[in-house]
Amino acid sequence: MKFATVFEWLTVGNNLRFILEGFAINLEIAVVAIILSLVAGLALALLRLSRNRIVSTLAGLWIDLFRNLPLLLLILFLFLWIPQSARTAWESAMPGWAPEAFQSGLMLAGLSGLVLYNSAVLAEIMRAGILSLPRGQAEAASALGLNYRQAMRYVILPQGLRRMVPATVSQLITLNKDTTLVSIIAITEVMRRARTVTATSGNPFTGGGVDAPILEVFLFVGLLFIIVNFSLSRISRRLEVRERSRTGAAPRPQVRGLEEQVA
Amino acid sequence: MPLGFVDTLTDNLDEFVAGFGTTVQIVVVSFVIAIVVGTLVAAFRVAPNPWLQRAGGLYVEFFRNIPLLVLLFISFPGLRRAGVEISAIVAGIASLGLYTAAYVAEALRSGVFSVSKGQIEASLSLGFGYPETLRRIVLPQAFRTVISPLGSLIIAMIKNSAILGGSILALDDLLKTGRVIQSRTFETIPSFVWAASGYLILTGLATVAIRHLESRYAVRR
Repeated sequence: MKFATVFEWLTVGNNLRFILEGFAINLEIAVVAIILSLVAGLALALLRLSRNRIVSTLAGLWIDLFRNLPLLLLILFLFLWIPQSARTAWESAMPGWAPEAFQSGLMLAGLSGLVLYNSAVLAEIMRAGILSLPRGQAEAASALGLNYRQAMRYVILPQGLRRMVPATVSQLITLNKDTTLVSIIAITEVMRRARTVTATSGNPFTGGGVDAPILEVFLFVGLLFIIVNFSLSRISRRLEVRERSRTGAAPRPQVRGLEEQVA
Repeated sequence: MPLGFVDTLTDNLDEFVAGFGTTVQIVVVSFVIAIVVGTLVAAFRVAPNPWLQRAGGLYVEFFRNIPLLVLLFISFPGLRRAGVEISAIVAGIASLGLYTAAYVAEALRSGVFSVSKGQIEASLSLGFGYPETLRRIVLPQAFRTVISPLGSLIIAMIKNSAILGGSILALDDLLKTGRVIQSRTFETIPSFVWAASGYLILTGLATVAIRHLESRYAVRR
């Protein structure tokens, strides 16, 4: 199929707008999920670093469990397991100003799956960021009379978390891609919408017997993701370079980024 | 543990084992593809020719930034509608392999840069050409530094393979098996817990194997 035909097909009957709006839903899901995952991930990382053996072991088990399960398995399980009453409660609790996609009870399963998985991954990144700080920092803090809590709050976390900014942006790229998985539990984001517009063998808008250009439409959807994620990776690289020049001769942070991790 | 929990496993053991086997097959074949293609792309990216470098870069940026699910839609219903007779399993394995190859290429490339320049200069001055230097001097050393990143990639691949069974391809892998058993028995928690255990066994085995390899070969630079 020629590109011009695809373009025509996309613009007929608002198909293009339908798909772009679906893509916006993916981005919204990614933003909400990354914020929730950062909060939960920080809590998990602190529990993991806790001086209490039991707390630290339990947090470690939790992190390893959810990091090592396929995200799609988590999402499907939550979709089937979360009772209807919880979905209804979510729907009625969601304020009216929230984006439309979040009004659906299905989003509860989708978001919890994304947050369970990503908070575990981010907790590991944060832990690595914190542990990569030279020991002298913690020692200096305690020599200055700061207690554990104060040392974390004023000395360790501000430095450790700075180091994980590039890795977090990389995780956001992964998360962005993973938002497509919620289409499998029937949340109508970009994949569902692309499937809807390509579901008919003929074109419903022109009435002709033209086969829907599945290949081209999904290449277009892929292109949307590539544009956003490529820009994000550029930003991430720039942040990393800036961070390294700011800290001068400091060694390259031992934080595992996307480079080593497909998720 | 209630008895019904174990029953879900023992009653459907054959199916779970078959699903587990399919997942293992998918992961093994895709990983071979990922290593072969990834090595090629990495060689492109460090090649002296700028056009080859650009082609390698384009490959990496395309496959790394596109969701695997979109790739599956392109490679299966997309190609079929475009007239290519491709089967679900081939489309799935090729997508997963080519997708992971982009990450393998990046891991190898950073490994290649970790090999000191002197090694390459020494090799060139001994009369090795560029391809020979890459094959005999650089890659063997690079492979040793990239054992742990490659390990993370295998684990990610095991997890990503579930998308092949969960999506339109509907390959009979471990996740699909869990779903089918859930829809037949309505034992949601046991079905998914047993499917999840299968994945945890695989990721656990991979972790142990990588740790073993690391302690034997890995070079910290």
